[in-house]
This record gives sequence, C-alpha cells and structure tokens, in this order.
Amino acid sequence: MSRRLKNNMLTTIAYVVVLLWLFPMLYMFLSSFKFESQVAVPSLTFTPTLENYRAVVTPEFFKHLNNSVLVTAGTVAVSAILGVLGAYALVYSSLKKANNIYFWFITTIFLPAVAVITPVYIVLAKLHLLDTKLALILLNTGAGIPLMIWMCTTYFKEIPGEIVEAAKIDGCSKAGTFFKIMLPLIKNGIISSALLVFIVTWNEFFFAVTATATQSATLPVYMSKFMTQQGYFWGKMSAAGTMVVIIPILIGFFTYKSLVRGLTAGSVKG
Amino acid sequence: MNTKGDKSKLLIVPALVVVGVVTQIPFILTIIFSFISWNVKRPDLGIHFAGISNYKKILTDGQFYQVVFNSLAIVVVTLTICTVLGILFGLMLNRSFKGVNLLRTLFVIPYFVMEAVVGIIWKTLMLNPSLGLNYYISSALGIDPIDFFGKYALLTIMILIIWQWTPFFFLIIMAGLQNMPSEIIESAKIDGATGWKLLTSIQLPLIKDHINVAMTLGLINILKVFGLIYVTTSGGPGSSSSNLPYYSYKALFYDWNVGTAAAIAVVTVVLTLIVVQRFYGFMNKTNTKNS
Repeated sequence: MSRRLKNNMLTTIAYVVVLLWLFPMLYMFLSSFKFESQVAVPSLTFTPTLENYRAVVTPEFFKHLNNSVLVTAGTVAVSAILGVLGAYALVYSSLKKANNIYFWFITTIFLPAVAVITPVYIVLAKLHLLDTKLALILLNTGAGIPLMIWMCTTYFKEIPGEIVEAAKIDGCSKAGTFFKIMLPLIKNGIISSALLVFIVTWNEFFFAVTATATQSATLPVYMSKFMTQQGYFWGKMSAAGTMVVIIPILIGFFTYKSLVRGLTAGSVKG
Repeated sequence: MNTKGDKSKLLIVPALVVVGVVTQIPFILTIIFSFISWNVKRPDLGIHFAGISNYKKILTDGQFYQVVFNSLAIVVVTLTICTVLGILFGLMLNRSFKGVNLLRTLFVIPYFVMEAVVGIIWKTLMLNPSLGLNYYISSALGIDPIDFFGKYALLTIMILIIWQWTPFFFLIIMAGLQNMPSEIIESAKIDGATGWKLLTSIQLPLIKDHINVAMTLGLINILKVFGLIYVTTSGGPGSSSSNLPYYSYKALFYDWNVGTAAAIAVVTVVLTLIVVQRFYGFMNKTNTKNS
C-alpha cells in the first residue's frame, strides 16, 4: 500500500471515528429543532422548528439559569481570590511547612463529596441554610479553592526569581510586586484555572441535588427532572440540554490548551 | 524575603478556613456520626452511641459487597479502556491533515458536558428500547431492542463513563505527544524502529508522565461518579449499577439513617485511599520498569 493511500485512509478513519463519538451530541442538537412527533426517528432530514426552545424558556428555566449563574459566579470569584492569595503565600511567604499545607489541599481533591454530606446537610438544616445559594457557593468553594491552589502554585513557582529580586531592589513593596509584576505575568494561568472552576461548578450535581430543593436548584438539577417528570418530551429536553451545555463547551474550546498546561505543569518534567 | 514580620503568610488563612470548614471538619464529624445511631425521620428513637454496630450492619449486608465490587469494576474497566482509547485517539489526531485542529477541538466536547445531560441523552435518544436510535437500529436489523439500562445496567454505566472521559485522557496524552521532540522520533525511525516498536519503546515511555496525570485525574473523578447513575439507573435494578457514592447517598436521603450513611461514607474514603495507594504503587512499578 502506498504511503499516500495509507495516510488518506487514516485521515478518513479519524473523521469517521470522531464524528461517531460525537453522534450523541449531534443527535441532541438536531432533535432540539424537531417537532415532538419527529424526534423519535433519528433522521437527518426534517423541517426545523424553534418550537421546543420557545416551550422551554419558561420562568422555571430562567430561575434555574439565574441560580446557576449566581452560584457559579460566586464560587469562581471566591475560589479565585482566596486560591491566588493562598498560592502566593505558599510560594513566597515565610510559611512553615508550606509543602505540607500544599499537600493537604491536594488531598482534599481526593475526598469524595459523600464523605462530608451527612454533617453538612444536618448543619445546613439547623442553620436554615438548606436550599440557599449561599450554602451552594460555600460547598463549591471548598472544591474550587484546592483546584486554584494546585494550579496557581505552579504558575507562581514558574515566575523567574530574578524578576522578583529586581523588583525588590528597585524598591517595589511586596504588594506592589504582587499586583504589578506577578499578576500580569501569570494572568493567563489564573484565568484558565478560574475557567476550570467555572466549568466544574456549572456542571456540579451532587451538592446541587442534595443541598437544594426548589428555590436554589441549579441547571443540572433542572435537567435531571426531565427524566422523571416529562421523560417523553424529547424535543424540549434536547432544547434545554443544548442550552445548558453550550456555555461550558464554548469555554472549553477557548481554554483547553492552557487547561492542559495547568493540569500537567506540576507533575510533568520537561 | 523570609523576614520575621512577614505578614504575607496570613494570606493562606482564608483558604485554609473555607476548605477546612467545608471538607475537614465535616469529615471528622462523619467519622463520629458513623458510631452513633440516629434516624432523622424517627426522632422518638433518639440519638445514642452505637459502637461499631453501623459498620457491622453494612459489612454483613450482601448489597454492600456488590456495590464495592461495582465501584472497583467501574474504576478498573473504565480507567484501562479510557487510557488505551486516549492513546489511540492521541496517535490518530497527532498527524497533520486538513481539519485536524477542528477534530481535536470537537472531540473534547463530551468532557465539558454535565453528567446530568450525558445521562439523559443516552437514556432517552440513544438507548431507549422503545423509541430513538436503539429502537431504530434494532427494527432495521429485525431484532428486539436491547434493554441496556435494565439488563446491562453496570456495563452501560461504564460505556457512558468511557464516552465522557476518553476525551479528557486524549487531551492530556495529546499534549504529551505534541511535546515530544520530533528529532527523537526521526532518529528512531532511521534506526529502524517502526509501528508497534516505535510506540512501545520510544513514544509511550516519553509520555508516561502525561499518561500518569490523565490516569490520576481520571481515577479521582471516576471514583466520584454520581450524577450519571442518578439520572439513568438510580443504581438499579436492585443495586446492580450502584457505586459507593450513590449507595451512601441513598442511605442518607432515602432511609434518613445518619449512622449508616456516615459509616458507608467512611468506608468509601478508606477504599478510595486504598485504591489510590495501589494505583500509585502500580504506576511506580511500571515507571521504573520503563526507565
């Protein structure tokens, strides 16, 4: 077999396999534009309609969307600020046992959510904080901060020592060095870590389904209700599904390269 | 830099407090709760010290062993297949051809989709036996549609996890392949290494750190899988597709049994630690063998 032919074949296989892998997503996307009566058949030809989208954008949907936006924004903001400050302290302050503290944060990433939910649920109930966005932000922040610290510690360590020294010699204060020298240097890293926290929080299911009921439920909970309440309205379900996954997918498109760098930087040599 | 009056070290405090309050303190309380008897829906029974009876109760329950088996099977099977597929997709898309960047970007999509939606798409559009793709293909072939979530619940859950997580493995492994200096590959080819030999003795050892990262992060997240099971099988039929997180969730939110739920959670953490430790032992052994 000629080299050229072999290359063409491999390319064709790549296209076919990737598109097959994505078929479920494509299927959902197309179904969202079909009339309910046509959804049952996986055909590619149909008269598109926005009927499903019109039917899905109810006050109920907007309530969940609003909750998702507020919870995610709150979690990202708090995790990013506390995480960046913490990572800075771990790398540049006179903190004793900085390595142990760093390691402790990492171990909390391994801790499954079920390990904390029993007392968390009981305490939230006692404080009347169940089904509030505040509680959900707090719980998600507990997962977001370790993620920020993990990735940002690496970024802080990558800043060349000479630059920090030079700033010090020039009479730049610690705060000045932090804001004027370090932050601009690792800005992109911080943003991509924060976007990872965004995606994780937006998609978070366990705390959302256990610690909320009606008032503060987020979009993943809203989607799960399609399974129980209106299991056979596939067109509307697909429209809602398409809308809730579009934001993390778009963020993913623009950040996955820096995301990979952040995830691998600490543990990959060279 | 390390002066005595250094106040900047206090910047770690807020992060420590929040993470401590949300993870550490509750976990310690979970351990304490696992030794008490407390049913939230039966306040008349009161709350009292129960010794190790909660542990006895779960460890003598046949269901529990099935759930432990399910959890381990899910981790071993999906982690292995995701790694192999991640490498295959990495090699396949590490060539240069028209549209390769688009394919790479598209292939990553499933990783960014929330578990709830993944579960719904597969439960309805893809695999529902009476409508949709499963029904359509079965009737075209003239066979009875397979009841995936009824008869092969655990296997189907695994397929869904593999579908969602292979793109993540690909993402990390792809980065490793692209970091690889092309001179090494070229000189190996000149030395006569091709195909399988090139892959196993040159390429894979060079990306072992990336494989390691992909597997570690994959392991952590696959151990935690919950939403997928919640929206598709609810752990059933029986507890045939339940994993430890789902089992523990049910003990609390169906039975309202604080002590039992806490004991299952503690066992879950212990098993997680053992799996992670075994995993590191395994990775270290393979790494030293290769280098």
